[in-house]
Amino acid sequence: MNLLIELIRSTFLAAVPILLASLGGTYTYYADIFNIAMEGMMLIGAFTAVLGSFFSGSWVIGILSGIAGGLFTALIFTVFAVYLKTDEFVTGIALNLFALGGTTYFLRQIFSVKGAFTSSKIIPLPDWNIPIIENIPVLGELLSGYPFLVYITFLIAVLVEIHIFKTKFGLRLRATGEDDAAVDSVGIKSDIIKSKAILLSGFYCGLAGVFLSLGYVNLFAENMSNGRGWISLAVIILTRGRPLGLLFMALLFGFFDGLGLALQNTFIPSQFTQMVPYLATLAALFFYSREKKKSKGESKNESMAV
Amino acid sequence: MKRQILTSAVGIITALLVGLIIMAVQGYPAFDSYYQLFNYSLFSKFSFFSTLAKTAPLILTGLSAAVAFGSNAVNLGQVGQFLIGGISVTAAGLYIDLPPVVMIPLLIFIALLSGALYSGIAAWLRLKFNMDEFITTLMLNFVAQYFTMYLISGPLLDKELFSPMTRPINKSGWLPDLGGLDSTIIISIILLIIIYFIWHHTKAGYEWKVMGSNEMFAKAGGANIDKNYLKIMLISGALAGMAGAMLVMGGVQHRFLKGIGANYGWDGVMIAVVADSSIIGTAFYSFFFAMIQTGAMGMELETSVPSEFVLILQSITVLFVVASRKSAHLLLNRINILLRMKNIKSGGGIKEDEFID
Repeated sequence: MNLLIELIRSTFLAAVPILLASLGGTYTYYADIFNIAMEGMMLIGAFTAVLGSFFSGSWVIGILSGIAGGLFTALIFTVFAVYLKTDEFVTGIALNLFALGGTTYFLRQIFSVKGAFTSSKIIPLPDWNIPIIENIPVLGELLSGYPFLVYITFLIAVLVEIHIFKTKFGLRLRATGEDDAAVDSVGIKSDIIKSKAILLSGFYCGLAGVFLSLGYVNLFAENMSNGRGWISLAVIILTRGRPLGLLFMALLFGFFDGLGLALQNTFIPSQFTQMVPYLATLAALFFYSREKKKSKGESKNESMAV
Repeated sequence: MKRQILTSAVGIITALLVGLIIMAVQGYPAFDSYYQLFNYSLFSKFSFFSTLAKTAPLILTGLSAAVAFGSNAVNLGQVGQFLIGGISVTAAGLYIDLPPVVMIPLLIFIALLSGALYSGIAAWLRLKFNMDEFITTLMLNFVAQYFTMYLISGPLLDKELFSPMTRPINKSGWLPDLGGLDSTIIISIILLIIIYFIWHHTKAGYEWKVMGSNEMFAKAGGANIDKNYLKIMLISGALAGMAGAMLVMGGVQHRFLKGIGANYGWDGVMIAVVADSSIIGTAFYSFFFAMIQTGAMGMELETSVPSEFVLILQSITVLFVVASRKSAHLLLNRINILLRMKNIKSGGGIKEDEFID
């Protein structure tokens, strides 16, 4: 029973960064921007969050600086991909490596450590205890006492759904993704819509980074995003960018992540349990592709535009 | 070609300037740091040879990515193929012992084969189930990373040491040292020449290039896309696998240790991107990246700029070179259009020879 509760709790915790990043990536998905920089945005967000929290002693500043880190990365992406017309794939690759190199460099430069930085001066996100529910035996353990960003994230998923499908901006965003020349022709600047989409993705990926370094754990480690940005990208492809679908998929990956952790205390070597989320991504893509083939028999070279 | 060299130069200089500013802002002696960067990578026999030793695996991971990207196969699995190539050679080198004449070619064959098989998984998933290789190769990177980690901390662990690594492979598998020069660079150059020849002088190479620039046209021209795609992925994986094997067979360690891959895989991706998948460009940028990586240690020693700084320098070089290439293209087009407009206005009409670009 305790093990099950632990598993469910770690499912929620592991789902949050993937959900936040993939919600951000949804904006660029609908604007038809190939955004593989999510990994880097998340990593920089995680780093600047620790930076802010450590030096100010306040988790609020931690959140704000984490978001600023994500936005900063997104801004570079915008300048190069939208305005200098550099290939999106190339820009994304370079930014991811810039994030990896930059955080490693400044980790050493500012904190004089290699590998990981941990300190009691890094103020984590506060946990929220839900009144009434926290006192109910099992339910309280399941639903109460998470870092508050967990609760906010599930709310954000609903808000993003509304933002993309029910507002004027959402309509323009999706129109830009369909045909940006048509959007330009009616007097709306598609470049501005695209820039907004990238900045929004930077905002949410930064927030995902904040959760990684101030919520999920309370430290910064080199390359701590560890492929979560790419898993998020896979999740977007799998759900075709429907925020509520993302919610489900993120929880599923969170479950596998948690399962990996739970299996660590068994006879299975930890390296294999750590593989689980990545294998799960492959498996999910496999079933998705097979279903698609069965249901439609679409043309073989149809690419999955992201 | 001229335009390529020019835009590369503009990009590299801009990136170096930005790097200069980043260092200066933090209070480091920026010019001296750059001098040390070159001093410790070029200006003595030892440092130049170290740069070449670093160039060798970079050429291969760079070629691996260049061949793939140049023919429209998005293989981002260099990291994984590198590790699988390295660990396969290590395992073979630990348990097989033959005379070097047989052993070295055998290990090279194993490296190429294991890398190709690993990228072959992604190719197969794409051809059979239409799963995009850019995601599958990325995921397989993590699988390879944890799998090799398991092997070197479990079945292949050197029990006398505290850090996860294997024992050194049998001496017969060591590549010879040529008076301080690591012979891996020779293997890399041979493979570079072979790939250059295939790319520019064979029918297959031509078909791949066409696939890279226009897949529909390649199809209409009668190229078998699936078959070519599979070949490209296998070659790409084989090259990355060989790069991993070099770090075990060459150098001084001769064992597979934790973090052996360092950034070779991703550096290769960056090199191919910045070289625009050109074979010669890949060789040039491999050397450039190896140079600043080798010099970084010296720079840290002399002016105490953390060596990780070159990671930043590399990524901004990529961004600026690619951006200047693109901007130069747009700019030239715009000038062309302006000239033409002017001509029409002045009543001259459009002359045949003005369609330059």
